[in-house]
Amino acid sequence: MVEVFGKRAGFGREAVLLATILALAAGLAVARPGFLASENLISIATGMVYDLPLAMAATLVLVVGGIDLSLGAVLALSSVVTTLSLRSGVPIPLAIAAGLGVAAAVGALNGLLVTRFRLAPFIVTLGTMSLARGAAVVLTSGYMVAGLPPAFLALGRERLLFLPVAIWIVVALLLFGHVLLRRYRPLHDAFYVGQNREAARLSGLRADALTASIYVTSAVLAGVAALFMSSRLGMGYARFGELAELRAIAAAVLGGAAFSGGAGSILGSALGVLLLALIQNGFVLLNASIHWQNVATGLVLLLAISIDAVRRRFSGERA
Amino acid sequence: MNALVTLDGVSKRYGQNTVLHDVSFEVAPGSIHAVVGENGAGKSTLMHILGGLHRPDGGRLLLDGKIVRLKGPLDAIERGISSVHQELSLFPNRTVAQNIMVRREPTRAGFVKRSELEARATEALARVGSGIDPTLPLGRLGIGEQQVVEIARALERRARLLVLDEPTAALTDQDALRLFEVLRDLRAKGVAVLYVSHRLPEVLALADTISVLRDGRLVATLVAAETSEDELVRLMVGREPEPLAERSVAEPGPDLLVVSNLGRAPAFADVNFSLRRGEVLGFAGLIGAGRTEVARVIFGADLLATGSMTLGGEPFSPRTPREAIALGVSYLTEDRRGLGLFLGLSLRDNVVAASQDAVVSRFGFLRPRRLKEVAMALLRRLDVRPLDDEREVSHLSGGNQQKVLLARWLMATPRVLIADEPTRGVDVGAKQRIHAELQGLSRSGVGIILVSSDLREVLSLSHRVAVFRAGRLVRILEAVEANEEAVMRYAAL
Repeated sequence: MVEVFGKRAGFGREAVLLATILALAAGLAVARPGFLASENLISIATGMVYDLPLAMAATLVLVVGGIDLSLGAVLALSSVVTTLSLRSGVPIPLAIAAGLGVAAAVGALNGLLVTRFRLAPFIVTLGTMSLARGAAVVLTSGYMVAGLPPAFLALGRERLLFLPVAIWIVVALLLFGHVLLRRYRPLHDAFYVGQNREAARLSGLRADALTASIYVTSAVLAGVAALFMSSRLGMGYARFGELAELRAIAAAVLGGAAFSGGAGSILGSALGVLLLALIQNGFVLLNASIHWQNVATGLVLLLAISIDAVRRRFSGERA
Repeated sequence: MNALVTLDGVSKRYGQNTVLHDVSFEVAPGSIHAVVGENGAGKSTLMHILGGLHRPDGGRLLLDGKIVRLKGPLDAIERGISSVHQELSLFPNRTVAQNIMVRREPTRAGFVKRSELEARATEALARVGSGIDPTLPLGRLGIGEQQVVEIARALERRARLLVLDEPTAALTDQDALRLFEVLRDLRAKGVAVLYVSHRLPEVLALADTISVLRDGRLVATLVAAETSEDELVRLMVGREPEPLAERSVAEPGPDLLVVSNLGRAPAFADVNFSLRRGEVLGFAGLIGAGRTEVARVIFGADLLATGSMTLGGEPFSPRTPREAIALGVSYLTEDRRGLGLFLGLSLRDNVVAASQDAVVSRFGFLRPRRLKEVAMALLRRLDVRPLDDEREVSHLSGGNQQKVLLARWLMATPRVLIADEPTRGVDVGAKQRIHAELQGLSRSGVGIILVSSDLREVLSLSHRVAVFRAGRLVRILEAVEANEEAVMRYAAL
């Protein structure tokens, strides 16, 4: 399904997603001229700043044949650690490093348990999800952590060329990640490992080391999302990012990632996030009941994977 | 004599490939009928037909003189035919009693009556002379006892024909003797046993009649008391020994890989051999004789337990395949789809997987154009069809998939190539192509270990043949003395 380069480079999928997005945008623009107002577009983009790094993380983990349910909880823990450090007077760079560091530690635990002890990633990350979320609650007794230095708040609010700086950073991160996953050999090996771990090992690849480092990377990306969220909202909170991992996985699957591993594209996942964001925006603009939004998101996801399955059957791929 | 089961002209084809051709024989109640033959002679297919897993394409199957068409495994069991496969079909987490009574649990109002369940299991075990505690989890039992449980289950299902596939392959000698007792006892009680094996001594000791299969045909059905191992070997092989002299034997080069006292319990022990530059060393033997296990240790896929190796005179003990590959040892796996290919990736990704250094830039970035060139050159050389390096490898035929896998290891430019069943399940054209490639490598000085269950393949390509039996390398035959009869004699006796 996913060719790594060349004409079938998962491109079909990305093109279909893009077409869907443009059609939806056109429909919204006709129905609600306010859709094209710059405030609305910027608010869509701003809302995606947190989901994009998470979707990138989910993609990397799915490609290598795993799954990471702890992303949202790691986001919360990381935000809490950074903001608590700031409030107790730790300099901003150190506080950020502490938040990213604790995220990396959770990722390392995921990676260690999955590779060394051969535990199922679903269960491992379900456990660390609970662990990280619980730790965040314990650290804050469930309260929001506010009263942060203005310089930290500015990080998420600065604008460059009409858009928040955070968006530029995230876009750069995505493009960089996309190219690395496709072209940079150590990361590209994730496709081999995800397709067939033992065959990868027998081909001389370091399957376990790569898998573990992807779990660390994934958690650090959740830490990056936490940084933007804490800075923009001006606080740390143990309930940040609830269910965010599920949205991220949904976006990655929309973008071509497979639960069986060895397939996926960061660009595709980013388009998946955009599609989900447009659906959400559409519900807001049309004053439709917010309750139906989850139903619509679910239907889109199921439709996408069903079309995929049918397409694969007709292209003659064997089981 | 009224036969319990009669096969009358049974045939089976897979595509172009006829695996059973007009096979007829009878099994009488209260008798043990053995089926012997080389790997691939059609024994398993025959078993699967009797077990209801496959339907014959031609011929008839009669039970008590009446024609039956088995609808599936359950139908076969209900009609009194129970099969015990090499991979036991038991549930390790459930108790012995639950395993024996599966799908026949005594119940009241939908709830299993535990005491009756255990009583009936005990009874079934007693019938095979076993006192295993039925409340134990099955997984706690040794493999021999598990097999007894499976036979007890068959009897509890009122089996009249018990089909056993290589039942002693995984057993110790002691467990095997106990199994023979059970089978003789069943025979005395009127049960018919179909015993599939290539272990000739036990077949001769146990069976009343023996059918010999070769290339899917029934060669002969003999009375066990009137035949001999020699006669069976001759019938199984069936051809006059072919001399190997005309092969282009290169001058044997210096020792390349020397293996001393290699062992890894329980798979194999005390394996000694040397592989010379430019030599093809055949590994012959029955399935399960330990050949693949030896290969995996040499490649670093499994850790070495005892013994030592040298490669090009240097001590050699790879801990991972990565180390072995770096030192010039490649291993073409026998399990193409499970352990070899990345089925969802393209041909070229599959080809370069083990030697990406050749297609990346200084900074570790893959170079698409170079990647394409390198992969296409190898795919063209091996005549892979369709010749499209971006196609997903799962779309290719078995033979072409095998060529892609071979291309991966050609690209790694090994000093030693271990080819494990390199032509299993491939068509004739691909087989010739692969053989030519192996011979070319050997002429260029690569040392090749050819693990194959296809005796003709081993004999036509090898300079010497190492014969394995039950985890031991029992004999290394020089080209002049290697023929099918000699190999089978060492492998099976």
